[in-house]
Formats: sequence, C-alpha cells, structure tokens
Amino acid sequence: MLALEFPPINEVIRWKDLFPTFNKVALIGCLAALIGISIFLLAGRKNPMVAPTGVRNVAETGVEFIEDQIVMQTIGRDGLGWTPFLLTLFVFVYLCNLPGIIPVLQMPATARMAMPLFLAVIVWVIYNVVGFKHNGLSYLTGMVWPHNVPVAMRPLVGLIEFLSNIVLRPFSLAVRLFANMLAGHMLLVTFAVLSNAMLFAETKQVLLKPMTILPFFMLLFLTLFEVLVGFLQAYIFTILTAVYIGLARHPEH
Amino acid sequence: MESLSRLIVEQAGLNADDQKAANAAIGAGFAYGLAAIGPGIGIGYVVGKAIEAMARQPEAAGMVRTTMFLGIAFTEALALIGFVVFILLGL
Amino acid sequence: MQSVTVTLGGGGVQVVLLPGLAPAQAEEETEALEEGPSPIAPEAKELLWGIGAFVVFLVLMRLVLFPKLKKGMDARYGKIRADHEEADAVREQALREVADYQAELDTVKAEAASRVDAVRRQLDNERSGRLTEVNQQIAEQRAAAATAAEERRAAARSTVEAAVVAVTTALVERSTGRAPDAETVRRAASDVMSVGASS
Repeated sequence: MLALEFPPINEVIRWKDLFPTFNKVALIGCLAALIGISIFLLAGRKNPMVAPTGVRNVAETGVEFIEDQIVMQTIGRDGLGWTPFLLTLFVFVYLCNLPGIIPVLQMPATARMAMPLFLAVIVWVIYNVVGFKHNGLSYLTGMVWPHNVPVAMRPLVGLIEFLSNIVLRPFSLAVRLFANMLAGHMLLVTFAVLSNAMLFAETKQVLLKPMTILPFFMLLFLTLFEVLVGFLQAYIFTILTAVYIGLARHPEH
Repeated sequence: MESLSRLIVEQAGLNADDQKAANAAIGAGFAYGLAAIGPGIGIGYVVGKAIEAMARQPEAAGMVRTTMFLGIAFTEALALIGFVVFILLGL
Repeated sequence: MQSVTVTLGGGGVQVVLLPGLAPAQAEEETEALEEGPSPIAPEAKELLWGIGAFVVFLVLMRLVLFPKLKKGMDARYGKIRADHEEADAVREQALREVADYQAELDTVKAEAASRVDAVRRQLDNERSGRLTEVNQQIAEQRAAAATAAEERRAAARSTVEAAVVAVTTALVERSTGRAPDAETVRRAASDVMSVGASS
C-alpha cells in the first residue's frame, strides 16, 4: 500500500518570516514591483527613435496590449488615460502570478488572499470614485432606482445592481484571482507530492518506480498550464477592472 | 453522507470530533464536485458559441474573444466560490 | 505585543488592531502561528507590503515611467507616419511626372500621326492627279489615232471608190459602147462597197 501523506493546506502556503513582518509573499510583491519598475525604467532609457528591441520591446508590447486589447475594447478612445493604471495592475498581477512556477520561489503571491484583496479594494474605490465624478449623485440613484426598466421591477433590479456594484464585484474579483492561483498551486503541489511519494516508496512492486513518470509529466504539463493561467488571470483581472471603470463612466450601457 | 461518515467513524472507532472532521471532509468534496458541474457546462457553452461566432465572422474575432473571456470569468467565479468553500470546509 | 484580527466579509475587510493581549492569549496566538496562516484570511503584513509595493509601482508608472515611454512611442510613430506621408507624396509626384510624360508622349505621337497622315494624303492626291492626267493623255492620243485612222480609211475608200467607178465606167463603156450615167455608177459602187464593208 502506498502511503501518501498529503501535507495540510496550511503547510503548503506557510512561509517562515524572512525577518519579522516580512515573509515570502511580501518579498514576491516587492520583487514584482521592483522588476516592473526596472523593466519600464530600462525601456525608457533606450533610444525611442529606432525599432524597439529587448526590454523596450517588452514594455511597448505591454503598453500596446493594454491599449488595443483592453482599453479600446472596453472603455473606448477617451479611456486611454487609464492605460498607466491598467498597465501597472496587469504587470503587477502577472509578476505576482509568475513565481508560482519559478523554481526556488514556487509560490504565486496572489494565492494568498492579501494581494487580490487589496487590489480589488483599490479597483473598487477607483471605479466608484469615477462613477461619482462622471455622473454625480445620479450614479448612486441610477444604480438603486434604474430608469430603463419597468417601475415594478425597479426595486428588485436596483437591489441586484447595488449588491453587484458594491459587494459582488470586488468580492468576485478578489476571489477569482485568489482561488485560481491557489488551485493551480495546489495542483502542482499534489503532483509533486505524488511523484515524490512514488519515487521514494518502500515497496517490492517493481513497476511503481518507473510509473513515477506519469505524475511527473503531469507536473510538467501543469507547470506549462500555469504559465497560461497566470497570464489569463492577470488579463481577466485587468479587463474586468476596465469594464467596471467603463460601466461607471457610462452606466446606461 | 451522514450515515457514510458514521459508518467510517464506527469502523475506525473514532470520537465525535473526528466524525465532525470526516463530515466536513466529505462535505468539502461534494461542495467542490457539485460546484464544478454548472460552470463546466457553462464555460463549454460560452467557448463553443464564441468559436462558432469567430468562424462565422473572423473579422469580429477580437471583440468576440474579449467578450468570451469576460463570460468565462463570470461563469468561472461560481466554481471558484465552490473551491473556496472546499478549502474552508476541508480545513 | 501587537496583534491584528482580520475578518473578510462581503467585499470589505475589517482590520482590528488589538493593542495588547493577556499572556494566556498570547500563548494561544503563537501556537496558532506555528500552525500556519489561515488559507483564506489575508495577513496584515502581506497586505501592507503588497499595498506599499503596488502603490510605489503605480505612482512611479503614472508620473515617470509611462509618460516617458509613451512620449518615445508617440515620437517614433509620428516619425514613421511623417515618413509614410513623405513617401506617399514622393510616390504621388512620381506618378504625376509619369502622367505628364505620358501626356507629352501622347501629343507628340498624335502630331506625328497627323503629319504622316497629311503626307500620305498629299501623296495620294498627287498620285491620283498624275493618274488622271496620264489617263487623259492616253485617251487624247487614242482619240487622235482613231480620227486619223478614220480619215485614212475614208480617204482610202474614196480612192477605191473612184477607182471602182473608173473601172466600172470603162468596163460599161467598153461593153456597151456608151458612157453610163456617172451618178448611177458611183451609187452602185458605193452600195457594193458599203455591203463589203459591213459584211
């Protein structure tokens, strides 16, 4: 019988403090910000008039991705002023997701609730402020008492709209990112533990050890999958932010 | 489910706390499994329709892709809430 | 000892700072920390470090990094667009020159064709003029020759008639001994000759 001792979930995401009040998740967050800043700093130093190469190419691809795929698709041309915020959000989330598959680090910072939570709260504050700034008090009244639905439906639709805007959006934004990254991390842990247990099992069955290749290849495949998921979740977080900002600017759509 | 956990607990000779934990573990498994059904069907439907739309109108592929990701994100949220409940219960 | 209780509720987070704890509670707290953090609840240190890192990144990006990058990109795109426009202008000018040249070529060709046509027409005129002249000459000569021949024939006929009349008169005189009427003889001879001439 194979004795598979799965570590409790707390153990998987527990990291000793590097020094008091500073642990690995905080380190990854700071590293993400530092790497992001240095990429754009180095990119800004290169000669802008020649064809972009290297780090400038990366930075410009990011800017154009945000502008063409996110801002233009959701807010429109007059939302291009949001590009720096959305770009920061995207780069930060992506660089926090990526350590989940980088050896030694092996932990997506967004798999702890703190990161998605404060990002979602920042986004929540921003889109509500934008709504009040663009529509005044009618942002709130239009949300609670919508004008484009029949009168009988207004209390119900208004309640749903209000809950969706104030509670559900930031909650789902945070939980989506957190749960996706945690689930991916748990999957990787599961197959790593399984590979390890099969390889070092004390058993007389000859076939068990060669069969380690199966969970190991699954591990490799899932690592590739996590690259995709990390990108996709950063993209979805950013595009949902853009959609919420766009909806707050023009609530009639 | 209740009887299943009681059976396990009686067989292993465990106490009431263990039974509670066993209940929680079984409940967590069901919570995630059930929560994955609906979104699974939903995401399949969303992506299938999006591919249909892209095949019919390749020039609108960019817009369709954006909307598809939004739809997936909203559908997927349900499954992820199930996953969070799974962690909370399985703790 | 500072401690923080964080509760997550419906989209918001409540952070309660607890200034101090009784020793027994503190022991419990350290034990809980030994067990590891809750997988769901956010930890204050992660939250604060994360906010700090993100806000620094955001402010730098908003104020320094992005405007610089964007300015460079806009400058390059502007230059590329200007170059494109210049290239378009040059191409248009070249096309216009080609069109001008073509037009010139067309006028020259038309002029040449008209000249060739004029010359050809002149040549035609000359030739037809000459032809008619020559034909006229030929016709004149032919007519002259025809009249001359007619005259000669008439002369020869009168000569033959006179001869026939003389011979006939002589014959009749010899056979009858009497000179015939000159007029009768001449008519008879003329009849016979015109029969001969017509047959």
